[in-house]
Amino acid sequence: MKPPHDMGGNPSHPIIPDKPDDKKFEEAWHRRVLGITIAVGAMGAWSIDASRYARESLPRSDYTKFSYYEKWLSGLINLLFQKGFINKNEIQSGSGDSIAPLEWRNRVLSLKNVGAVLSAGAPTRRDGPKPIFSIGQKVCAKLPLDTLSIKNGHTRLPHYISGKAGTIIKSHGVHVLPNTNAHFLGEHPENLYAVEFKASVLWEQNPSSSDTVVVDCWESYLEAA
Amino acid sequence: MPHDRDENHVHNLLPAEPALRVKALETILLEKGLLDQQAVDAIIDEYEKRIGPQIGAKIVARAWSDPAFKSMLIADSETVLREAGLAGRQGEHVVVVENTNKVHNLVVCTLCSCYPWPLLGVPPAWYKSDAYRSRAVSEPRKILSEFGVDIPKSQSVRVWDSTAEIRYLVLPLQPKDSIGLPVPELAKWVTRNSMIGTGLPLRPVGD
Repeated sequence: MKPPHDMGGNPSHPIIPDKPDDKKFEEAWHRRVLGITIAVGAMGAWSIDASRYARESLPRSDYTKFSYYEKWLSGLINLLFQKGFINKNEIQSGSGDSIAPLEWRNRVLSLKNVGAVLSAGAPTRRDGPKPIFSIGQKVCAKLPLDTLSIKNGHTRLPHYISGKAGTIIKSHGVHVLPNTNAHFLGEHPENLYAVEFKASVLWEQNPSSSDTVVVDCWESYLEAA
Repeated sequence: MPHDRDENHVHNLLPAEPALRVKALETILLEKGLLDQQAVDAIIDEYEKRIGPQIGAKIVARAWSDPAFKSMLIADSETVLREAGLAGRQGEHVVVVENTNKVHNLVVCTLCSCYPWPLLGVPPAWYKSDAYRSRAVSEPRKILSEFGVDIPKSQSVRVWDSTAEIRYLVLPLQPKDSIGLPVPELAKWVTRNSMIGTGLPLRPVGD
């Protein structure tokens, strides 16, 4: 059974486009979640990959029910708990038991560093080996299950391309591998490629269609076709 | 299903009502000295007031009016945007994809909601919706028609699923009526959706 966050190709509702006067944040608490998530993330205790995994490993019933910022919020609470920043008693009482260790408080994002943190981001490009695959080469996407580092772990290989053949159209260089990094198992940087799949191959329809879907795939997600 | 019944999930111990849940978390973090409220306010302020699609629109307008800049942008967007100070959080590695008479590009993130924040700001609700994440890869032309965009058969639709840390920005086709306008005027034609691929550039209201 594919996990609930892996939505590509699912049947779903029509889109409701926004209107020009729609607010950037629909609710006041949305912006608090955004600000707190970024501020806490800047302490450097986890990566974007760990954050994503915290959101997508929420119980299925919560993942499907929660809005975008509710997923952020609950993922953040669980990460803070798992990494020992807050304890169960504090969560149950809604109040801090004690001041955090100085080592952590020293890493808290201060007002004067906000600009620098936002404009630096967290680049994932690394030095690494030469690519195995070349542009124009035919490749086949593996099963998501076969790319996991731990049971029920994180991968960025969506089910809808699994077992399908596509063509490498671009090499993005070497990037941190989410499959290990999400679980604090190291960055294990790998070559990353843009792989183009024909819509007719993915969806078994419109054999004459020239439409395509491009998916970014790490080298270990692929095998030569 | 990952970790459904394990000890890693404590989020439901806080109030279910999200406004109360975030308030409770903020209180805990402040009491522990793990959060600076002024920093949180400053982050919100940046995304609410400063970072938005007008930034991406300026890049597109410049590319339309300066062929040398456009070539550099398409060849190596990452370097061009870094030098312009626009390669921040969630836009560290941007690839610009150009619409032509043969190809119309559309951007999605099926696995979460990745989006080029430093160029377009916070993503709109529809971009984060289950409907868009589910259908953009399998029925892009239907999605486009729901946005009022009809792509002729002579143009292929190429959907970019942002599964990695590469963020995609669409460089839309320049409307004929806008050719020759100065960059600040051109930027007004560039809609947010035209840079995601769910829209086309539009004549500014009142022009």
